[in-house]
Amino acid sequence: MRKLQKNWVEWVVFAVGLALLASALAYLVYDGATMGSDPPSIEVRLGAPEPRAHNFIVPVAVTNHGDETAEGVAVEVLMESSGGEPARGELTIAFLPRRATREGFVTFQQDPRGARLTARVLGYEKP
Amino acid sequence: MSRRKPAKNEEACRSVAESVQEYGRGVAGGLMFSLPLLYTMEVWWAGFNAHPWRLAAYVAATFVLLLGYNRFAGLHHDAGMTEVAIDSVEEMGLGFIISVGALYLLGRVTFEMSLNEIAGQVVIEAMTIAVGVSVGTAQLGGGEDSGEGEAGGAGARAKRGGRAGKTGGARRGEPELHFGGQMLLAFCGATLFAANVAPTEEVVMIAVESSWLRLVGLALVSLLLGALILHYSEFTGAREFVRDEGFATVVAGSVATYGVALVASGLILWFFGRFDGVTLYTSLAQVIVLGVAATLGASAGRLLLQR
Repeated sequence: MRKLQKNWVEWVVFAVGLALLASALAYLVYDGATMGSDPPSIEVRLGAPEPRAHNFIVPVAVTNHGDETAEGVAVEVLMESSGGEPARGELTIAFLPRRATREGFVTFQQDPRGARLTARVLGYEKP
Repeated sequence: MSRRKPAKNEEACRSVAESVQEYGRGVAGGLMFSLPLLYTMEVWWAGFNAHPWRLAAYVAATFVLLLGYNRFAGLHHDAGMTEVAIDSVEEMGLGFIISVGALYLLGRVTFEMSLNEIAGQVVIEAMTIAVGVSVGTAQLGGGEDSGEGEAGGAGARAKRGGRAGKTGGARRGEPELHFGGQMLLAFCGATLFAANVAPTEEVVMIAVESSWLRLVGLALVSLLLGALILHYSEFTGAREFVRDEGFATVVAGSVATYGVALVASGLILWFFGRFDGVTLYTSLAQVIVLGVAATLGASAGRLLLQR
């Protein structure tokens, strides 16, 4: 067999390549071995409302604690102030991978500060 | 990547500048062949929807494909198995690096994302890029070969026959392009072509909307395309690798190519989860629809990838 003739650049590229390949495979195998099979379990957290020029915005952070991706996650935020119908805000997240967090906003015309805000996930698809 | 040593100076080490140039060619090739997939949403989604083990299997399969491609195609028929393995590892590494860079610039990977999400997207894109790097290095290059009469066109074709004898010493250990090698190249080409189309929704849409008559039509067109490219179109290389033989050989060759194309098509569709929760008929229809692209790739692989 011919002797391998490689200069230092080629050895560096090979070493980096080997390290990346090995760590990627190791991570995937580890990740696959440790992940369960829980369906999506979604938590919604609301941030502090802020006034904007034309309305009020409420930051929403949605986290999937399950082991499967949720697709088309619909989130509803209700604002109950004293008297009258609750105002309703809504947002949809296209894809919420397992263990991932996505952020967004819902908007209200009335000031939500001081009102009672409740959030819930309406539903989502399996991808 | 190709490691063809200058023929007159077999033991000389390549200069750093030459290596960097070659990697540059690989990077360019990698991006050229994989750009459609970097810009496809369905591929990003597959990155975080697929089970990690399925991704690991994809990595392993790509590596085997690269080994085969580097062994039988490209510029370095004289490479030993160790060298082929080293080249393949380097190509995978370049694939990962390019993938991270491209996905970051495209805003698909951010620091707020969870690790599994980043890893999934990077890995899935890196594999196509790695194949592109391999093909790009071999196909875009050629400067080093000029000393061996690879000037191109008909001259190269005519000289190829004599070259094996003339430089027989330098090219010892060149694997003969037997049937298995041909099929492996066909498989590489089919995968490269079909992977660009497979993740899109359009394949499913065509498959569920097509009548069986159209599907039979697509299958026949695929077979004809295979025969056309391999036997009648005078593509560069067609003469060298496919001997002029009777009608039966043409049919057998096309059927073999189409078979490889269908297998590649099925594997890729399975990987992208296209068989989950659909009937056998829809699965088969998808395989046939994608099979057209895969056949083009398989035929091209047999002729073009190996130059």
